[in-house]
Amino acid sequence: MPSQQAGFAPNLGFYLKSLKAQPVESSIENLISLLKRRQITNSRPCAVATAHLLLQVVAKFRWTNVDKLIERIQDVGRRLIEAQPREMVVGNIVRRVLGMVRDEAKEERNDDASDSASNSQMGSPRQDHSDQGASHLGGPPPSFSPLRFSTTEDSDSTEANGDDVFGGKHQAASRPPLITSHTSYAPAGGLPPQKSMFQLLSANPSPASTPSGAQSPHNTSSLNASSLAHRITTSSKDLKAEVIEGIEEIVDELDQADDRIAAQSLEYIHSNEVILTHSSSKSVQKFLLEAAKKRKFTVIIAESYPNDHEATHKSVTRSISTDAEGADELSTPKFSKSLSDAGITVILMTDATIFAIMSRVNKVILATHAVIANGGLIAAAGARIIAKAARVHRTPVIVVSGVYKLSPQYPFEFESLIEYGDPGNIVRYQDGALVENLEVDNPVYDYVPPDLVDLYITNMIVADHYKSEDINFDKPELQ
Amino acid sequence: MPSTDQPVPAPAAQAESPAPIQQSEASKLTGAELKKQKQAEKAARRAQAVQGKHIPTGPPPAIQKGEPKQQKRRGSTSGSRDLPIRQSESNAAPKPPPVEDKTVEFFRHLSKPHRKTIAGTPKDIHPAAQILGMQFSTYVICGSTARLLATLEVFKELVQSYVVPPRTTLKLHFTTHVLNPHIGYLISFRPLSISMGNAISWFKREISKVSIDLSDVEAKKRLCDAIDLYIRERVTFADHAIAKTTTEKVRDGDVILTYAKSSIVQRSLLQAHAGGKKFRVIAVDSRPLHEGKNLAETLANAGIEVKYCLINGLSHNIQDVTKVLLGAHAMMSNGRLLSRIGTALVAMEAKAAEKPVIVLCETVKFTERVALDSIVLNEIAPADELVIPGGALEGWRDVKKLQLCNPMYDVTPAEYIQMIVTESGCVPPTSVPVLHRLVNEPEIQ
Repeated sequence: MPSQQAGFAPNLGFYLKSLKAQPVESSIENLISLLKRRQITNSRPCAVATAHLLLQVVAKFRWTNVDKLIERIQDVGRRLIEAQPREMVVGNIVRRVLGMVRDEAKEERNDDASDSASNSQMGSPRQDHSDQGASHLGGPPPSFSPLRFSTTEDSDSTEANGDDVFGGKHQAASRPPLITSHTSYAPAGGLPPQKSMFQLLSANPSPASTPSGAQSPHNTSSLNASSLAHRITTSSKDLKAEVIEGIEEIVDELDQADDRIAAQSLEYIHSNEVILTHSSSKSVQKFLLEAAKKRKFTVIIAESYPNDHEATHKSVTRSISTDAEGADELSTPKFSKSLSDAGITVILMTDATIFAIMSRVNKVILATHAVIANGGLIAAAGARIIAKAARVHRTPVIVVSGVYKLSPQYPFEFESLIEYGDPGNIVRYQDGALVENLEVDNPVYDYVPPDLVDLYITNMIVADHYKSEDINFDKPELQ
Repeated sequence: MPSTDQPVPAPAAQAESPAPIQQSEASKLTGAELKKQKQAEKAARRAQAVQGKHIPTGPPPAIQKGEPKQQKRRGSTSGSRDLPIRQSESNAAPKPPPVEDKTVEFFRHLSKPHRKTIAGTPKDIHPAAQILGMQFSTYVICGSTARLLATLEVFKELVQSYVVPPRTTLKLHFTTHVLNPHIGYLISFRPLSISMGNAISWFKREISKVSIDLSDVEAKKRLCDAIDLYIRERVTFADHAIAKTTTEKVRDGDVILTYAKSSIVQRSLLQAHAGGKKFRVIAVDSRPLHEGKNLAETLANAGIEVKYCLINGLSHNIQDVTKVLLGAHAMMSNGRLLSRIGTALVAMEAKAAEKPVIVLCETVKFTERVALDSIVLNEIAPADELVIPGGALEGWRDVKKLQLCNPMYDVTPAEYIQMIVTESGCVPPTSVPVLHRLVNEPEIQ
């Protein structure tokens, strides 16, 4: 159904335009309804919309201390996630922003505290919190959200296999404090002594410091936290400006993610290879196009019928016009080349042929909807049989994914993350009697277990973008 | 070429030309097309020189030959046709870019043009064969068993309508002058299935066994009876036996997954349902043929609880399954299963989920050939069948370096298959060559 809404239907571009004019509250409601109605779908548009909305939220919210800001962001985030729990990037972006706010706040605090004698104690606040929190650990009851995500303790035990590329790092290090440390930040809990001082400093946001988009330096491509932190310590800007700048950097990162991934393509693709890919992903296409500048190879595209075949067909025949992503506004306009224009032989095949041709394929490159904590993928339906057939033929599987798709979530039951599409795509309503008698199943996503993936290519070094406090921010019962 | 070929009926030739001409006028003439034209002209001249006739014979790929024919006609009216036309063509040739081969490189050995119409059919082809050819080409008759039966019925009609020419006998004349051209004609619509190949070699053996002393009428009757018996033994009874065995294997509460449509799977499931077994069916299907929809409909109408999904939903449903039943196009001698494209994926997922995979296959589909991958032995259907009307793919031939590929079968590794149910009993994949020798090649022993 969403594909039928042509130009005038509200999409990402329209939404972003409306953001500036509307009051924040209606923007939030607007995005919630867009998410619910699936008028903004797919990872990147959702991420972009969330980041822009949070920018407005931060800019227009009058806050007296940083806890209030965090609470506010969490509240908005919760509502967005509730609107569409299966778009995991929404939660990821909210977590990124929260983590960034916490970092900024900490830096600010450290700056102020550097004069005081208690400096050495400040150096490891997380350690403090986790020690404090140890007594709380028995607390959280094993209650589940509607999606039945596991509590973190459960996931740690179930993913004992060593294959989790991303998940392991921040889980192992930061899981214990995750449940408890939030309570130490919560207003009700015992405030750390330094908090009052830091409240004083950030209490009065001056009107001048509410920057518009133009103020932030768009050319800054240094996105990693350490350089950010360094800049903050040297300059003493207002916290709010810093946060807004931070969100803008996240927006920039979303914009550049595909290009940064594509820049690495020559390291993975050599001449005369046969590469299999699936459905119509911008990331994969850019990746292959970048490699095509230097090398000649063959790409086999499985069409991903019945949910994404139209986009796939359009992408190979280059009749890309109205794109679900709202390409007019956001994605770089210069990108209009199709793979076959770039001199690559493109072979379009049906999903059923995958096993038959896998013996000729050198590499499988997949895009994904999300990467969950164990490194498993939530990807377009059909990805699992591709990855499995590749494993049977010992063909390497490469996944390209922006860091924003990495989610700390780890579900009990993978089925809970799978979205089901319109069965009318499979059996049309004209088929009359068939519709009456048949149960028709049309999953949109597949869960691909991490052991079927050989390599992930992301846009930057995977750092700890999410603070342990925020992993379960959308599920207060777990905090 | 038999001499009867010569007076090609004019209406047929005319019926062929108009439609293709429209098409080729729409698309630009490219270098290779011109080359083909030249070749066709050359062939026509040669044919003229030999037989003194104006229209070339043989089954040409209709679409590209429409244009050359028109040119030839023009040429022949202008009298001195050779030099001027060749001149103008060689002038025009360098300009358009060379037309690219739209066939996929590693399937190129299989990509043959498929005849789409009965226009241009040689005169001595039996009407029944023409009808069957069209039914093959439009997939009205589809599936190994159905094609086998239809072919044998056509053979029967051929035998019945056959008149033995003077100074020869049925035994010496029929195979080379009637049977082989008809088989060739059918192949031009779609390649033979393995079962058809087996049946044809059996039938030729039968013809060679006909005693030379028999009268023509008696010989014809004997051949028709032999075909009837073959159908009864190798297909009707075999299906009956397989369905009976399979029905015994279905238990109450089973969830049976099947892929695409196999007539014998459908029959077995219907029979099991009629026998009072309570089970559920998950019908998995794929583009472009959507055969499984037919199966799902039949089963649902019979009152069986059916879930229908495409191959993208395979991974989601495999966990609920208790048995996987698959049909076969052929069983190879190395125990591999040649079946509708996508079957290997189903078997692979079933193996990964540790579900038993049972193949239902008549022994007439066994072959002594072996296959290691799905590329050497396969059938490539016309790529245009993948185009969805009104979809973005309609202009795919104009997109440079874009190829569509539509293979029909894939090869399932033997290790995915637990059991093959045949009319001679249930066997593991390793027993295929033994059974094949016993049943299909009795003379060799």
